[in-house]
Amino acid sequence: MKFTWKIGGEAGFGIMTTGLIFSKIALRHGYQIHDFVEYPSLIRGGHNTYEVTVSNRPISAPKYTIDLLVCLNEDTYLYHKKRLTPQSWVIYDKEEFELEQNNIVKIDIPFSKILTDLQGAAVMKNMIALGSSLALIGADLKELKKILSEEFSAKSQAVVEFNQSFAEKGYQEVRKRFPSLIKSFLLKQPAPATLALTGNDAFSLASVIAQCGFYCAYPMTPSSSVLTNLASWQDKTGMIVRHSEDEIAVINTALGSAFAGMRSSVGTSGGGFALMVEAISLAGITETPVVIFLAQRPGPATGMPTWTEQGDLLFTIFSGHGEFPKIVLAPGDVEEMLKIAAEAYNLADIYQTPVIILSEMFLSESHQSLAQKTVVDFWQQYQVKRGKLVDKLATVSYKRYQITQDGISPRLIPGVQGYYYQANSYEHLEDGHTTEIGEERKKQVDKRNAKILTYLKQDFCLPKIYGDFAQAELVLVGWGGTKGVLLEAQRILTKKNTPTALIHFTYLYPLDGEKLRPLLTAKKNYLLVENNSTAQLGKLIKMEVGVEIKNKLLKYDGRMFFPEEIVNFAEKKYDN
Amino acid sequence: MTIDNLTGYKPTWCPGCGNWGIYTALKNALTKLKLSADKILVSFGIGCSGNMNDFLNAYAIHALHGRSIPMAIGMKIARPDMTVIAVVGDGDCYGEGGNHLLHALRGNHDLTVIVHNNSVYGLTTGQTAPTARQGYRSKSTPLGIIERPLNPLSLALTQGVSFLAQASAGNVVNATEIITQAIKHQGLSLVNFLQPCVTFNKVYTYDYFKQHTYLLERDYNYRDYNLALQKAEEYSQEKFALGVIYQEKRPTYTDYLNKLTQTKKALDYHLLLQEFS
Repeated sequence: MKFTWKIGGEAGFGIMTTGLIFSKIALRHGYQIHDFVEYPSLIRGGHNTYEVTVSNRPISAPKYTIDLLVCLNEDTYLYHKKRLTPQSWVIYDKEEFELEQNNIVKIDIPFSKILTDLQGAAVMKNMIALGSSLALIGADLKELKKILSEEFSAKSQAVVEFNQSFAEKGYQEVRKRFPSLIKSFLLKQPAPATLALTGNDAFSLASVIAQCGFYCAYPMTPSSSVLTNLASWQDKTGMIVRHSEDEIAVINTALGSAFAGMRSSVGTSGGGFALMVEAISLAGITETPVVIFLAQRPGPATGMPTWTEQGDLLFTIFSGHGEFPKIVLAPGDVEEMLKIAAEAYNLADIYQTPVIILSEMFLSESHQSLAQKTVVDFWQQYQVKRGKLVDKLATVSYKRYQITQDGISPRLIPGVQGYYYQANSYEHLEDGHTTEIGEERKKQVDKRNAKILTYLKQDFCLPKIYGDFAQAELVLVGWGGTKGVLLEAQRILTKKNTPTALIHFTYLYPLDGEKLRPLLTAKKNYLLVENNSTAQLGKLIKMEVGVEIKNKLLKYDGRMFFPEEIVNFAEKKYDN
Repeated sequence: MTIDNLTGYKPTWCPGCGNWGIYTALKNALTKLKLSADKILVSFGIGCSGNMNDFLNAYAIHALHGRSIPMAIGMKIARPDMTVIAVVGDGDCYGEGGNHLLHALRGNHDLTVIVHNNSVYGLTTGQTAPTARQGYRSKSTPLGIIERPLNPLSLALTQGVSFLAQASAGNVVNATEIITQAIKHQGLSLVNFLQPCVTFNKVYTYDYFKQHTYLLERDYNYRDYNLALQKAEEYSQEKFALGVIYQEKRPTYTDYLNKLTQTKKALDYHLLLQEFS
């Protein structure tokens, strides 16, 4: 079973809250969900939508056809009519506008009349629509009432009951007037405790799990909810969360606390990251660990703040002046975000260098269901690895930048009695003092670069392969947050008699070209799929592996892919 | 472990540079306060002043130009038990990093900020700094600088500095006392150091400072904000009071954080996870 519900209306009318309630109701009925939001960079006005796909099996992507469309205004209908099928229900109020198509199932609910009768504000339309939606799919209204009680009981019991009365009205309206159209899609089924997490939620949890002591940020869509999550948990976690004056302060403050020994991270999006770049270079030469969470949105400059793109991969990899090692990771879904982000904190400490976690709006703000047990188990087995730390020394003096085989110098956390040292933004000797001697400069460059080889040997992970690579005729290649749609496309194509595999990159930089070559040079049709206009992973592969993937599907209108788009493209391209 | 124990790195400043006086005063103050090298964290900006990183024994980081203050804030957040000092220049702290200074003042972070103010960029061979007098001719302003100089004292005072002092690199005894008090103060201490750049600034010489500075009277009331404002305004008339200009007692950023970390409970993950189901 796979079912897509979508609600749309004017911004400022509670679409986001309503959508998340729908997702949670599906979870509480024992189903899996994937949702996403569309909204302009405004607080009021403009068009907002919330789309939820529900399934009784694990689900990683939206689907193209909409099964139940709730139109709180006419725009919702006009924007989405091409995604409707003859089986699609459309909830609307015919007093407000009429639907031009006849080959759909019209569910006319008198929103305006109900609002007048029950003396409700326009925002209550949401509750009526939720009630009607649940009635149509055979869901339990009690779950909605319970959630409303949880959401609003802090305000007052009267507010709870007021909201519930509109939901009840919408529910009964369908039961009375459209009994024959009701389908029992969402019957309760037993399921283990499941959470609805966004990529940002997963990063936030990972930071708590990894015992990050200090998180610093300046709000920037679509990364801001990490800041607000972690700030709202401070009294429970003890993590210090600081909203600094700008992104330059953000990363320099984090580097100050990291230098002084505290696990530290920052979060931002493209423009804020651009401001941080000088300090990333500082982290490189001073060998200070820091985790940087970068939620991409379409640029350049302010771009399209609330939409999605994978446009900052190469910028991230090449960020920072001068040459120094850094690690770039791009989790593909909320589970990978949880695990890879927590691992990023270890890698930053082990390699004493910046680690960048790339997300994108589609991953950062879309909810995906994840079993609570997965989170709890990971939490319990996670181990903090702080790398080569020393607090007792055999010698009188300490060399912060001691030359070592693996490039990693033992790190002494400041404050240990009897010692002192300087970390240095200038090129330096082993003891940290500034130098301009050519030989010493070379030694330090080589030492820092050696960390790359050590990382490739110890911690680099090859891209994951999904599907049967040996049997595959077609191989999709992608990275980061497109994972879910690529996986779905791979399944559909395979089912439709094009044996397909997926190579999905999460450990993006540095890459081990030698190990990657066989994966990318088999006798297969390769198709590179990226949410950008210049095929940045393609360029990276060409640079690091020496292989060019000629066929590309690139999307850069700010929207994510639907699996069906990838399937259609592949079929046209490869079918005779 | 003492501050005096130089490890063979000889300062590279020009003979007669004001930095010598500031460096000596800082070392004297740390010695006086019995703060050994392992008890202090120092964040240096980039410039001639920042080069002190190579000569001062401490747990230190030579940071980026303009970014020494945020780095010091981070240090204090991680190690509230250690003394944190930011050694910066005027271009560094009043120019490139001006925004950070404003917001550090708001937060009353428990730091001592020592600004080397010589009105020129010495390390880049003598361009104008934001504190240079209007009309000052330099390599970057051969026709004379158009902007008026920034008044760091009024700026700091009106934005909430809790300890404000001015010292002269030419008066090490007085400067030692001022730095000692600045470090002892709990909250943000700003010490504006007047210093000559003997190589690139032919206006602000030792002689100039001798003529334009005076020691604050013994009975000067540094708790009086309005009086302090008057003293601060004198800066714009090139009349420089030396001593503690203002001090107030108010909770520091660290005090608020301590409240937070003290209320920390054993973390129960159910508390965090319940909002997601």
